[in-house]
Amino acid sequence: MSSHRIRLTVNGVAREILAPANRTLAQLLREDLGLTGTKQGCGEGDCGSCTVLLDGEPVNSCLVLAVQAHGHEVLTIEGLAQGRELHPIQQAFVELGGIQCGFCTPGMILSAKALLDKTKRPSQEQIRRALSGNLCRCTGYQKIVEAVSEAGRRLSRGRR
Amino acid sequence: MLLPKFDYHQPRDLPAACGLLAELGPEARVIAGGTDLLVNLKHGRIRPKALVGLERLEELTGLDSGRGRLFIGARTSAAHLAASRSLGGGLRLLAQAAGQLGSPQVRNRATIGGNLCTARPAAELPPPLLCLDARALLAGPQGQREVALSAFFKGPGLTVLGPDEIMRGVVIPRPGLGGGGAYLKLGLRRAMEISLVNVAAFLQLAPDGRTIAQARVALGAVAPTPILSPRAAQALIGQRAGDKLFAAAAEAAARDARPIDDHRGSAAYRRDMVRVLARRALEQAWDQARGRRGGKS
Repeated sequence: MSSHRIRLTVNGVAREILAPANRTLAQLLREDLGLTGTKQGCGEGDCGSCTVLLDGEPVNSCLVLAVQAHGHEVLTIEGLAQGRELHPIQQAFVELGGIQCGFCTPGMILSAKALLDKTKRPSQEQIRRALSGNLCRCTGYQKIVEAVSEAGRRLSRGRR
Repeated sequence: MLLPKFDYHQPRDLPAACGLLAELGPEARVIAGGTDLLVNLKHGRIRPKALVGLERLEELTGLDSGRGRLFIGARTSAAHLAASRSLGGGLRLLAQAAGQLGSPQVRNRATIGGNLCTARPAAELPPPLLCLDARALLAGPQGQREVALSAFFKGPGLTVLGPDEIMRGVVIPRPGLGGGGAYLKLGLRRAMEISLVNVAAFLQLAPDGRTIAQARVALGAVAPTPILSPRAAQALIGQRAGDKLFAAAAEAAARDARPIDDHRGSAAYRRDMVRVLARRALEQAWDQARGRRGGKS
């Protein structure tokens, strides 16, 4: 099996990793870089728990080969907080009960970030559509939608 | 789920990629977005020794308008199509279909080339592309050939693409004024869903704004491949647009459907839904062709 020298930016830091061809981006993040905030659920692109932002757009990192991420920029859940201060989306999830078991949360928050980066004050429908690739088995969707909506309000007021 | 072992190749241009496929033979598979291929690899449905990644092939990127035709590179993502300003007017049905494929995460990776070359009967993009009279550009070691999309699909997962060929993209004749289309999908839920039935319709009105100069209705998930409905087109072309005509054309489309019973739905239900969706799609296509905003799905 071929192995590849992969250069990519993860959470703003340039990284270089030697990885076999069959390494997924999810594995590279979790196993090579120890960034276990990215969760691996179904492994086939249905659940969205492994969602990360690739050049700002949400993707299922279980269905991206690490070698395909060469030269690109990845944002994981670990890249959101500034020191001990949570990102406004994270803070809204905590305050509004958008987190139950927490397994879907990193993916939900990254999908929400991709939405809010483009649409400052999304409608409920826009939020639901943006999160439609993220499953919450605790079924806490309503609180999650409310948290994203509140995060949008806070971000558009420029508060952190 | 772990991936099996394979070698990964990243050719720098199309000739190199086709040469590599010719050299590696049937043990190699092409990968673009990977949303379909990697799942099949994980499930062990296919065991290629090598993957040929298309990420360096600039020939496969971008949307390009010229001489009344629109070229769409095979690597163009569904998300890009869904948001593309190039797909307004009579091309809107393609953006509509792309926006209903999978989930946001899948749309960001899944490509138009992958959606066509995997040749799934229920795929989102073939019906609108069939309605738009798209042609597939296939590159091989001997150069490029053009195949009408209606002749591209051979069966579930089967196409005319040769083992050393790569789809470079599709070209669509740009509809003029008075062209309008719509895509409708029926599933059990609104995301990450495989269509029970999908229908695309396209109408080109004559300058009188009422006579149908050209019409196509395409159906997905009701035959071994996505199909055009010849009976629906025949019922529509040359006639004056209107609700009664659309109802008759939708009946005709249902007669062209050859659905099967499976766990997602019965053949009888699918055929009936072809009728319902085709009528709605034609009404919406007409609204758009007349310059009215499309109704709700």
